[in-house]
Amino acid sequence: MRKIIQGLSLLLFSAFFVLATYKLPNWLPADIYLRLDPLLGLNAVFAAREIIGRALWALVTIGSTLVIGRFFCAYVCPMGVSIDFLDFLFFRKKKRLGLKTETGLRRMKYFLLVIFIVAALTGLSLAFLMDPMSLLTRFYTFFIFPLALTLINLLLDLLRPLFEALGWVVLSHQHYFQSVYYMTAITLLVFGGIIVLNRVVPRFWCRHLCPLGALLSLISPLGVFKRRVNEDCNECLKCQKTCPMGAILEDPRKTRLPECIQCRTCAKVCPQNAVTFPASLSLGGEYSKVDFSRRGFLYSLAGGLGVGFLALRTPFALKQSKHPLIRPPGAIPETEFLRTCIRCGECMKSCLTNTLQPCLWESGFSGLWTPKMDPRLAPCDQNCNVCGKVCPTQAIRSLSLEEKTHAKVGTAVLRKEMCLVWAQNKICLICDEICPYNAIVFRPVEGYRRPVVVASKCNGCGFCEQRCPVQGESAIVVVPNGEIRLKDGSYIKEAKKLELEFKPDPGDDKFILEESGFKVEERKKGEGSVTPKEKPQPKKPKGFL
Amino acid sequence: MALGLVGRPSFSFAKEEYDLAVISGEPVAATKKALEAMGGISRFVKRGQRVVLKPNMSFARTPDFSATTHPLVVATVAQACVEAGSPQVLVIDHTLHRAELCLERTGIRDACKNISGVHVLALQEREFFREVKVPKGKVLESAEVVKEILDGHILINIPVAKSHSATGVSLGMKGLMGLVWDRESFHSRFNINQAIADLGTVIRPQLTILDATRALVSGGPGGPGEVKKPNLIIAGTDPVAVDSYGVSIVPWYGQNFKGRQVEHLLAAYQKGLGKIDIDQLKVFREKV
Repeated sequence: MRKIIQGLSLLLFSAFFVLATYKLPNWLPADIYLRLDPLLGLNAVFAAREIIGRALWALVTIGSTLVIGRFFCAYVCPMGVSIDFLDFLFFRKKKRLGLKTETGLRRMKYFLLVIFIVAALTGLSLAFLMDPMSLLTRFYTFFIFPLALTLINLLLDLLRPLFEALGWVVLSHQHYFQSVYYMTAITLLVFGGIIVLNRVVPRFWCRHLCPLGALLSLISPLGVFKRRVNEDCNECLKCQKTCPMGAILEDPRKTRLPECIQCRTCAKVCPQNAVTFPASLSLGGEYSKVDFSRRGFLYSLAGGLGVGFLALRTPFALKQSKHPLIRPPGAIPETEFLRTCIRCGECMKSCLTNTLQPCLWESGFSGLWTPKMDPRLAPCDQNCNVCGKVCPTQAIRSLSLEEKTHAKVGTAVLRKEMCLVWAQNKICLICDEICPYNAIVFRPVEGYRRPVVVASKCNGCGFCEQRCPVQGESAIVVVPNGEIRLKDGSYIKEAKKLELEFKPDPGDDKFILEESGFKVEERKKGEGSVTPKEKPQPKKPKGFL
Repeated sequence: MALGLVGRPSFSFAKEEYDLAVISGEPVAATKKALEAMGGISRFVKRGQRVVLKPNMSFARTPDFSATTHPLVVATVAQACVEAGSPQVLVIDHTLHRAELCLERTGIRDACKNISGVHVLALQEREFFREVKVPKGKVLESAEVVKEILDGHILINIPVAKSHSATGVSLGMKGLMGLVWDRESFHSRFNINQAIADLGTVIRPQLTILDATRALVSGGPGGPGEVKKPNLIIAGTDPVAVDSYGVSIVPWYGQNFKGRQVEHLLAAYQKGLGKIDIDQLKVFREKV
């Protein structure tokens, strides 16, 4: 029964993950697992110092844990399912290394919880490092997702001759766009590490390290269902040995309530059927079993403050207003963004073009795994607004397409010394051709029509940077200059205020044509200025003789 | 290579030979009439022959931007091919924007979805292309093109009429670049206008149907730009003649041009790919 629920939960988690694409309907909360996570919610609310609407979903988890106990870990948590499943796969028959002093390590998760909460209070979002939901979504995004695409495409390639023979036209031309990410290896190492720890004891992660488990365990003894052992118990200790959480004490009649995840494995294995989980309203004295020394608390308090200091008191923090990164459209102002983002990677997974990539050290420790645009790799598509839709803490605001178009992420800058037209007088108009907003126009300069960026029309989508045929770095790059980052309010209004116009202006090319060519050249002649040494000024648009 | 061998169908059975059919009217009716005027689709597509239709669906734009072929024009031609007994009609383009979006936004997949035997494919993987030598090429020595057109499929080109920032206009000849894998080199390595003419020596559509129901006369090829409504379908077997006529129907960037003034068309003409002077063409004109 529990395995089925667990399996369904992982399936649901995966389904929501798969559904997080640009086609995601507005009503479907693809990020629901992340929203339900109270640790991520607390972390974002404390760090951002304000209530975040979507984080309120975590109250559902808190509420049900208060009622039922720490069932989340055993039935819902997709990380728990993954650990259980992979444990079954790899370590089922292995002899575990075991632990001698269990209780000491158990405290780790509380210390970590305190560190994360304190760090959040200092304004540093850190829980993402070890929060299971964030961790798993990240692992899915940076590893499972690209791997699945590779495998599917490989399979399609293998079966292609068959499809062709059968005349299955669509399948024989099917190929899925391969998303790729930086930091895939690091993400795999972290996840792999968590799984390998099972070699020591089952659910090592959940017992000793998981800060979300720690948070839930603090309130779980209030739950209604509690393990009870009746007098039939013959102290065979079978339950104690099989408990995946090590929640049963030397005396098998006693339970570490905060650790019990209600998986009921003990009830199943008991030869005497002596274990039941009746509903009882008694609070019980087990709260004292939360192993937490005062010294440990103070250390972790200091740890949280220390990490907060180390991560935030850096030149990166001072330069936040001048940060060099292109953030996704709708990202709230940089400081708030760093505080609110929980680094789940959902935006990067759902990104239509694959332009969203995780940061490593580009904006310091506090920017680890945050999303940035990589326009040389791919542009931001104007028909897509999914990154905001799936952001569980709204570090990227969910915007309508119209609003998103006005959420300017930066401005394209032409590097004339590299541009084929400016530096080599070659015919190249790719940036102009691809620009969806007519923000690149051609103006006659020194006898040639040369590309110029109209900053007030550029919203930084990056099509030009991606397509620029110059080898290596692009001759036209998007820089954050001019980005619009709003915590609330309308981007359209803001853009209007700034006199920006992202609506394409159809007459523009014509205007340039009429204004260019002849007139300028004739005026030059009239002034007796030097005529260009090379080709004469073309009198017609490109391609016409 | 195979394409070169296929050649063009003979005109022998047509009473009066027209170089071009220029039909004014709504997309569906005008397309049907144009096909009829060119001797019917059965002149080009025989029972059992597989067909590749090459519309322009390179941009994820809705039809009103006029950056892509009108979906109803494509669907009408596809339907005609199926009725002529083609078991398989592939609507193919190597899209510039993300494939899925192009299929969705251009409306072409939707328009064709209920016609059995018709498949709309946006190809963005190299494995669907194969190299072909360009023996008569001046700058282009070889190109990787969509496999199917080398495997004996009938090719019908269905471009949209639009301006182009590098080649002046993008009609049928330029549209054939959408069957090529490496387009970047056309822009960066070669003189694009000559390369298009070179490509025309190996990719020879049996029929070109220019969708000039709308024309993007500036801001091309991707738009947005000024959209005019000539309401014309121009069909012909001579790719240069169709394009040359297409150049004459509207002012581009506010100026009137002739086919000879379009560099890639002139180069194609000089390669002997077709006629460029439209006053020497026999044109069937009708309003439907």
